[in-house]
Amino acid sequence: MASVEFKHIEKIYPGNVHTVKDFNLKINDGEFIVFLGPSGCGKSTTLRMLAGLEDISGGEILINDKVVNDLEPIERDIAMVFQSYALYPHMTVYQNIAFALRLAGLSKAEIEKKVRPVADMLELTPLLDRKPKALSGGQRQRVAMGRAMVRTPEVFLFDEPLSNLDAKLRNSMRTEIKILHKKMKKTTIYVTHDQVEAMTLADRIVILRDGKVEQVGTPSEIYHSPANKFVAGFIGSPAMNFIPIELAKDEGCWFVDISGQKLNLLGDVDDNQTATKATLGIRPCDIHITPDLLTNPLVIKGKVENLELLGSTIQLTSRLGDSQIAIEAPSSHVVNEDEVINFYIDESRLQMFSDQSGLSIYKPKAVLESVTDQ
Amino acid sequence: MFAMRKIRWGKYIFLMLVAGFVLVPMFATVLGGFKSLGELRTNPFGLPDVWEFEYYAQVFADGSIWLLMKNSLIIAFFSVLLTLIIGTMTAFTFSHIKFAGYKYIYNYFLIGMMFPAAAAILPLFLKIRDLGLLDSLSGVVIPQVAFGLGFSILLFRSFFEQLPSELFDAARVDGCSYIKFYWHVILPLSTPILATVGVFVLVASWNNYLLPLLVLNTEQQYPWTLGIMQYRGEYGIEWNRILAYVTVTITPAIVFFLFAQKYIVEGLTGGAVKG
Amino acid sequence: MFLPLALLLFTIFVILPIGEAGYYSLFRWNGYGEPSKWVEFSNYVRLFKHGAFDTAVWNTFKIILVSLVIQLPLALIIALSIYKKSWTNSLFRLIFFLPYILAEVAAGLIWRFVFDGDYGVIARFTEALNTDTWYLLADKNWAFVAILVVLVWKYFGFHMMIYIAALQGVPKDLIEASKLDGASRFQAIWYVKIPLIMSGITISIFFSILGALQTFDLIMPLTGGGPSNSTHTLVSYLYTFGITRMNVGFGSAVGVVLFICCVIFAFTYQSTIMKDKK
Repeated sequence: MASVEFKHIEKIYPGNVHTVKDFNLKINDGEFIVFLGPSGCGKSTTLRMLAGLEDISGGEILINDKVVNDLEPIERDIAMVFQSYALYPHMTVYQNIAFALRLAGLSKAEIEKKVRPVADMLELTPLLDRKPKALSGGQRQRVAMGRAMVRTPEVFLFDEPLSNLDAKLRNSMRTEIKILHKKMKKTTIYVTHDQVEAMTLADRIVILRDGKVEQVGTPSEIYHSPANKFVAGFIGSPAMNFIPIELAKDEGCWFVDISGQKLNLLGDVDDNQTATKATLGIRPCDIHITPDLLTNPLVIKGKVENLELLGSTIQLTSRLGDSQIAIEAPSSHVVNEDEVINFYIDESRLQMFSDQSGLSIYKPKAVLESVTDQ
Repeated sequence: MFAMRKIRWGKYIFLMLVAGFVLVPMFATVLGGFKSLGELRTNPFGLPDVWEFEYYAQVFADGSIWLLMKNSLIIAFFSVLLTLIIGTMTAFTFSHIKFAGYKYIYNYFLIGMMFPAAAAILPLFLKIRDLGLLDSLSGVVIPQVAFGLGFSILLFRSFFEQLPSELFDAARVDGCSYIKFYWHVILPLSTPILATVGVFVLVASWNNYLLPLLVLNTEQQYPWTLGIMQYRGEYGIEWNRILAYVTVTITPAIVFFLFAQKYIVEGLTGGAVKG
Repeated sequence: MFLPLALLLFTIFVILPIGEAGYYSLFRWNGYGEPSKWVEFSNYVRLFKHGAFDTAVWNTFKIILVSLVIQLPLALIIALSIYKKSWTNSLFRLIFFLPYILAEVAAGLIWRFVFDGDYGVIARFTEALNTDTWYLLADKNWAFVAILVVLVWKYFGFHMMIYIAALQGVPKDLIEASKLDGASRFQAIWYVKIPLIMSGITISIFFSILGALQTFDLIMPLTGGGPSNSTHTLVSYLYTFGITRMNVGFGSAVGVVLFICCVIFAFTYQSTIMKDKK
C-alpha cells in the first residue's frame, strides 16, 4: 500500500534556474498518475526528485506518510523504467532483471524463483540468455519493465518509456502497460509529453508547464473542463479552435460578437470578468454541419475554404473574421468547397478564456443543469 | 549524508597527495636552479632564501643551448613534415584505391608497430652508417619517420575511411584526379587528425634519446636530449646548474603541452579506446 | 604515388634491420668490414648465461608486475575520482598527465636529483633521522625500486587518461539505474563501470607491457644500468653490452630476443584478449 505526497516541492538549479515551482500533489494508493506537459516543463525533474536521483531544493516528498527527502533510491522502495531503458549492455536479460536481487544478497535459487514468473508475464522467457544489443526496441522495453517489477516495489515510475518506439509498437506497449497496472494495482507515476498516452492510461493527469501545475484531473475533466487556455489547447487532437471575441451583456444576458455575428450565451460568465475582450474555445468535433442531436445549437455562417477527406471524417477550414477555424464532421455529409454554410456549435462544449489570465471563465448551460455530461 | 562528506574529504586529501607526488620533484627542479649549491644541499625543496640568477644565466651564456634546441626543432619539424606527407599519401592509397593485395601490404606496415626501434637498433645503426647518414640530422629524421609510419598510417586510414565516400564520387564527376582530390579535399578535411598525428610525432621526436645517441657524434648536431646528458656529465654534482638546465629544456615541452593538450588527449583516447 | 616510397623507407629502416639482426646474431663481429666469424648460436648461449642478462629479464618482469599491480590500479582509482567534468577535475587531470609529456631523460635527471644521497630527499631524510647518508641509487638492492617509483610517476597519468575517456563514455542513466537497483558506490564501480571500460583497460595493459619491454631512456640518467648491472633492462643491456662495445653479433642477438618477445606478446594479446572487439 503506497500513497505519495508532494508538499511544496521546488527545484532550483545553479544559476537560479527555477525548474519546479511549488509543486503539490496527493496520490492515492494504486492510482495511475500521469505527468503531462511539453519539453522542459519540469515533469521529469519532479519524477527524478521522487526517485532520489535529483536533490530536492525545497519542500518534502512523502511515501506512505514518511518523509523520504534524505533517503537513497533503494531505501524508498521504488523502481523506475527509463526512457532509454538503461539496460546493462554487458549482462544478459536474466542478469539484468536479477541484478537488484543479486545486490540485495538473495541466493541463486531465490533469484530464480522471482525472475521466472516476471519473465513469463512479459513473454521474455525465450530471450533470457540474450544481451540487450540482440533485442528489438519493444523487447528491451519489456526487460526494463521486468527489472522494475521483479523488485515488487511500492511505487512504479516511468520516464517517457515509449518515446523511443515506433507508433505501432507504442500502441501495443501502451495497452500492455495498462493491463499490467490493472493486474498489479501498484501506485504508478508516468511521465510523458504524449497526450494520447496520458488520456488512455491515467486515472488522473497532472498537466505541467514551466514548472507549475496547470491542472490536475481525470482525463474526462481535463478534456471537457480545461482550467485554462493552455490545457485546452494542449489536450485534444485536432487542437481546439481559439477565436477572439467581444463580450457584452444585454438585458442580463451575455452574448458574444464574432466579427459581426452575434451569439447568445446560455451559460454563466465568471463575475470577475470585466474586460470585454476574451477568447472563445471550441473543439473541431464540436462544430457540426447539421443541427441534429444538438439541443441548443449556436448558429454561425461561414464559407468552406478547404476540405480534406480523412476516411471516416472530413476536416474543413473556415474563417471567422481574422481567425481560421477547423471543423471535423462525419464524412457521410456532403459539403463542397467555397460553399457558404451554417455551422452549429454545441453550446454544452463551449469554452471561454480570459485574455489576461488564460483561465476558464465560462460554464455552459448544459454543465450547469446536468450533474454529469457523459 | 555525513558519510558522503567524509568520503569527499578523504578523496581530496588523496588527490592532493598524488598531486604533491607529481609536482614536488618538478618544483624542486625549477627552484633548484635559483639556489647556490650549498643552499641546495640544505634546502632542496623549499623556496630559495637568496634567488641566484647566475646559474640560469650561465645556461644561456655560451649560446649552445639555443643550438641544441634548434637541432631538436629541425629534426622534429622534418620528421613531422615527412611523416604527414608520406603517411597521408599512403593511407589515402589504402583507403580509396583498393588494389590487389593491399591488405597484405597494410598488415606489413602494421608489423612495424609491434616491436620497438631498440630491437633492431644495431643493424639499423650499421645501415645508417653504410648509407653515409651517420652524424647527420637526416640520419635521425629518416629512421624516425620510417618507424612512425605504421602508427601514422593506421590513424590516417581509419580517419579517411570515415569520410563520406560520396565526396570522392562527386569529385570524380567533376573531373578530379586522385592527386587533386588528395590535395584539395582530403587534406583540408583532415586537419584534426593531421594535428593529432603531428603532435604525437613531434613529441616523440622531441623527446627521443636513443636514436640521436647512436647516430650523432659531433656536438654541434646534438638535440637537447643529448645535450642535457652532456651537461650532466660536465657538471657532475653541481645540481643547481643541472636543474637549471633541465628546467630550461623542459619548459618548451610544458608550454607546448598546455597549448596542444586538446589534441594530445583526443588522439590518445580516441585512438586507444576505439582500438 | 607515395606508396612505393613509403614501402621502401619502411623496408629499409624497419624490416631489413630486424632481419639483419637475426643474421648478425650468428656472428661475432665488430661492425666493420664484413661479418666473418661464424659462431652459430654461441652468442645466444653467452647471452642466456650472462648474469646481467638474467637480471635484465627479471627487471623487465618486475616492471610489468609493478605496472599491473600498482600503477594501473592507481591510475584507475584516480580516474574514477576525477572523470566527471569540472574545473578542479580538469586541473588535476592536467597535473597528473604532466610527467608523461616530459622526455624520459629529463624525468630521469629530475629524479636522479631527488634520489641523490647528498642533495635530494634521501639526504633530508637521513639528516633528519641522523643516520648515514644513503646513496639509494648506488644500493644494489634498492636502486631498481627507485627506478620503479619513477616509472609509476611518469606513466600513471597516461593510463589515467585512457580510463577517463572510457569512463566518460559510460551512459549516465546506467549508473542511475544501478542506484535504483540498490548498488552502493563500490558496487556500481565493480558491477557496471569496470566491465564497461574493459576495452580501455585492455589497451592500457597492452601499452604498459610493450612499454616495459622498451624501457631505456629512463635508466641511463638514473643509474646507467648499475650498480653492478642490477638495474639493466633489456634495451639498456643491449646498449651497454652490444653497442658501446661494438659487439654487433651479441647485440643483435639481444635485439632478436627482444623482437621475438614483443611480437609473441603482441600477437597473442591481440588474438586472445583483444579478439572480442568489433
